[in-house]
Amino acid sequence: MALHAAVKGKLISVIGDEDTCVGFLLGGIGEINKNRHPNFMVVDKNTAVSEIEDCFKRFVKRDDIDIILINQNVAEMIRHVIDAHTAPVPAVLEIPSKDHPYDASKDSILRRAKGMFNPDDLVR
Amino acid sequence: MTEEKLDKNDPQYGAVCELLDKLTLKQLVLMEEKMRCELNIESSINSGSIHLAKSRYIMGHKSVSATQLPTENSPDFSASIICETEDEDGVQQLKVSDNDAEDKVNPIKWFGVLVPQNLHRAQAIFHNAINYIVECVNVQKQLDDVIYNIHLLKRYKSIQLTSQKKDQT
Repeated sequence: MALHAAVKGKLISVIGDEDTCVGFLLGGIGEINKNRHPNFMVVDKNTAVSEIEDCFKRFVKRDDIDIILINQNVAEMIRHVIDAHTAPVPAVLEIPSKDHPYDASKDSILRRAKGMFNPDDLVR
Repeated sequence: MTEEKLDKNDPQYGAVCELLDKLTLKQLVLMEEKMRCELNIESSINSGSIHLAKSRYIMGHKSVSATQLPTENSPDFSASIICETEDEDGVQQLKVSDNDAEDKVNPIKWFGVLVPQNLHRAQAIFHNAINYIVECVNVQKQLDDVIYNIHLLKRYKSIQLTSQKKDQT
């Protein structure tokens, strides 16, 4: 018999372009907490990479966030930070946007999975 | 050649190899599953974006944009959708659930009172996309665990292999 033990719900945050943020906030994931901290960030062409990086790190530190959604093209800008994040919580999910279709070869976790098939390991 | 000898001599080594094979197959299945989930998310985002664009066409291009979204200066509110961690037979799975907080808002009201049908449709599509997202995150978590286990087993296997080689010499 399955053992069900539900824990208090956590948030889904989003870092992405205008349409992704508008869409998912319309879907109901947006929140502004008591300290006036939003769980989303709209990235446009004028947004600095350091701002995205800071926002991502802030979301990782927050303990009320379980999933961080990030557009793949935005993730490419801060790839080193995303690759360095290996903790299971919060889970970082790279999603496509309307302008940038999903590319499996760029996805952090799929690249890590593909790395398991490297030639050095296969000869053993 | 040496490896075959070791394999036949030590049943534990064979078991490790068999487990590695099974985990590798599982990894491939999960990779395929993740890509399928991502494609579902992509098609949801695409069709949701078309409805957002249609709403923009009807209401004016600045009426459905990031300027309507709440900022740090807006009053605080809670998310309508949250995800809960469920422990099913020792496996942690995320699940979408409705938040029962009192200070929820209907996000469609940020865009006006009389909004076009397309905006309602976009809302429904993005709401559904959240289910795909949580499904994808669950697959990703499993994939992460499998990668970690394969890594551990490979290390164990190489340690065993070197110790057996030493014993032979």
